[in-house]
Amino acid sequence: MNRIKLIFNQTLMISTGILFGLGVQALLYAVFFDDTQIIWPWYTPFAIIFTGFLCSLPSVIFLEEEGTEKLGFKLKLVLHFFAILGVVSLCGRLFGWYSTLRAYLAIVVMYVVIYVFVWVATYWLIRKDENRINKALEDLRDEE
Amino acid sequence: MKVILEKVTSPEEERAHIRVVEVSEEIRSAVDLLENNCRSIAVSRADEERNPGESYMLGTNLIYYTESIDKRTYVYTKEACYETKYRLYELEELLSAGFLRVSKSMVVNIRKIRSVKSELNGRMTAELLNGEKIMISRSYVKDLKRKLGV
Repeated sequence: MNRIKLIFNQTLMISTGILFGLGVQALLYAVFFDDTQIIWPWYTPFAIIFTGFLCSLPSVIFLEEEGTEKLGFKLKLVLHFFAILGVVSLCGRLFGWYSTLRAYLAIVVMYVVIYVFVWVATYWLIRKDENRINKALEDLRDEE
Repeated sequence: MKVILEKVTSPEEERAHIRVVEVSEEIRSAVDLLENNCRSIAVSRADEERNPGESYMLGTNLIYYTESIDKRTYVYTKEACYETKYRLYELEELLSAGFLRVSKSMVVNIRKIRSVKSELNGRMTAELLNGEKIMISRSYVKDLKRKLGV
């Protein structure tokens, strides 16, 4: 049940991220190329959700504790980064989000920015949680 | 057993008089609870497991954590390790609210945690008062927060 919840949450978050990325792409086209009309095919909303779902799967494996302890955090992070980049690249190609190398590089840059942003936000949130827990422990701690 | 509870007006008047046929482990535990204000569990020294010798009554307030390894349950205090006949889930029920399961094989005394450190994968490392470090699994971090009211 926890895994399904995790996949669902991740799918929602990543889909929002992709939508944000496409929005930024549309904004950049409008600002720099005066291209104010972006036409997306009918399947784009489904494609975004589908890509979000596929991108959530590496996260589930990444957070899995059993059987992946030997890999170590850094290696798991690298694998996670490239697994999601692979999904984004494949889905982007499949759904026609890029057709030139330049457009692909723009997507990669956007992906890196979002990836780093998510980790920085996660780091900030867990440090905040950590401080709250440590403060609560102070009141309960035995004297040794 | 018939229990008679009588209210008195001062702490000096407080006393418990237990009449039993046999002093069982439960009775000993009850006596410990009344005398020392904490429960006790029967343990034996972990290094005497092949040739079990003396068994001890260990106050739960001295326990840092308990761990299940290869279907055996070990109890760790500040400096010593004991073995107990209880299974981990039994200990979890037996121990007071100050204890928390932190992984499939470990129950820790929250009062013995000096600090916790979060990891990016959702797990936490807890440093105990004796300097030992234990891992809190991601799925049990929520329970810790709930227990602490965070």
